[in-house]
Amino acid sequence: MDWTQTPRRSSAMRREQNLALVSAVISGAVMAAGLLLLLLARVNPETASSIRTMATDVAAPAWGVVRAPIDGMARLVAGIGDYFGAVSRAQALETQLDLANARLRQSRVQARELVQLKRLMAVREPKRQVIVTTRIAAAASGSVVRTAMLAVGAAAGVSRDMPVIGADGLVGRTQDVGQVSSLVLLITDPLSRVPVIIERTGQAGLAAGRNQPTLVLIDRVGPDLPLRVGDRIVTSGDGGVYPPGVPVGVVIEVRNDGPVIRPAQPPLGAGFVTVETAWLQMPAAAATGPLFDAPVPVEARTRGAPKPRLRSAEPGADPATEPTAAAAPIVPVP
Amino acid sequence: MIASPPPPALLMTKAERRRWLLASWRYAVPAMTSIFLLMLMLAPLPLVVPVMPHLGLLAVLAWAMLQPGLMPPWVAFGVGALADLLFGQPLGVNATLFAVAASVMRLLDRRVGRHGHSFDWAVATVVMLGVMACTGPLMALAGRPVPMAPMLWQAPASLMAWPLVVRLAAAIQRRLVASMPGWRHG
Repeated sequence: MDWTQTPRRSSAMRREQNLALVSAVISGAVMAAGLLLLLLARVNPETASSIRTMATDVAAPAWGVVRAPIDGMARLVAGIGDYFGAVSRAQALETQLDLANARLRQSRVQARELVQLKRLMAVREPKRQVIVTTRIAAAASGSVVRTAMLAVGAAAGVSRDMPVIGADGLVGRTQDVGQVSSLVLLITDPLSRVPVIIERTGQAGLAAGRNQPTLVLIDRVGPDLPLRVGDRIVTSGDGGVYPPGVPVGVVIEVRNDGPVIRPAQPPLGAGFVTVETAWLQMPAAAATGPLFDAPVPVEARTRGAPKPRLRSAEPGADPATEPTAAAAPIVPVP
Repeated sequence: MIASPPPPALLMTKAERRRWLLASWRYAVPAMTSIFLLMLMLAPLPLVVPVMPHLGLLAVLAWAMLQPGLMPPWVAFGVGALADLLFGQPLGVNATLFAVAASVMRLLDRRVGRHGHSFDWAVATVVMLGVMACTGPLMALAGRPVPMAPMLWQAPASLMAWPLVVRLAAAIQRRLVASMPGWRHG
């Protein structure tokens, strides 16, 4: 029998093999954790919100500092460029001003009529309120999502779902807000849907982003009036985030599967942007439990359910009908 | 592949131990380079199409190729998670993909070895295209399906940026080694 015992592995080799095994296990665990996180994000998209705001709180001010001298240089170059051709531009502007003045005189009359009519109809309109004006500090331009960062956050009064508007049109809305930073979902992001109307026909629809320079008009409601190239698209104010009348873009291609819109304001070319309050803010109301006639189980109270309201304890309860509350007709909940 | 252990701490003199502790920040250099390139991707450039190369992914691939011991999958996972947070993607998309990419690079390194710059470029391209192709399904898995056609802009840009990134990583590695002759970097 020339069977020999297997040679004992040297300790260095053993160590190497053990470490390789450990690293393989860790690699597998890490990938599994990544997939779990993905599923978690699917179930609850708000999971990572607080960590995200911590990360953007660091990144946005950093870019704000870095881009300051670049902005200064750009302004200097623009200033030099403005100096040339100032005369011809002034003449062009004067002619434009004359035209605009004529239109203004006409619209003043109409505005007064509109005010009178609104007073007659008792129309109440919320006011647009600018919270802060800032520059876009950073932007994810090389990714499957189109987001930007502002170097202002909750400290300046910004909160979730506020419209971000540039000089020429809509830019996006705030998504996650940290203390000194906020993440903006640009209108070109695939997740973005802006309720719009076509200015000429008044037809409502949604302007959807698709990670491309243009938007697409989807879900038009009402009779399908034919579009024209050059139709202006403005926000409708539906949904309560974007105020009505903000330019979104211009139709550049009429297609049956979805007209193509060029944004009025290229989201990342915007100089300064303003963050406004949401057009119609949801009133903050505490959750109230339903009306009960019977006592609720103890478990419901200990698990954090809102406190139940007994019908007998309600202010409008009629003491005479109280003993037969179960047989009484159901009182509508105020 | 795995960083060799430092000499036993108890056998070191006080000066040696201090020197070793002060030199250990070099282990974090690959991760920090990758994070710096991620921040660079956030530059507010007025680009209408996503032509910004995926510098973070490229950095992870380059370090996984040059220094597999300093860019293990779990470090790549951390870099990817940070990318998710900064770009506003669902947490886990880039984290998973970067970790998988780092381990694939490690496996390929073991199987096929290294054959010069062009070969490495081809390998990195294959891995990169694989990662980009998997981004769409993972975004859909996370409940945010996105159109993948715009990625046709980013893929060639990333392809072109590979030599720059790998050269940057190599230069940093040379500096690191030169700055500390006795440093055992794995």
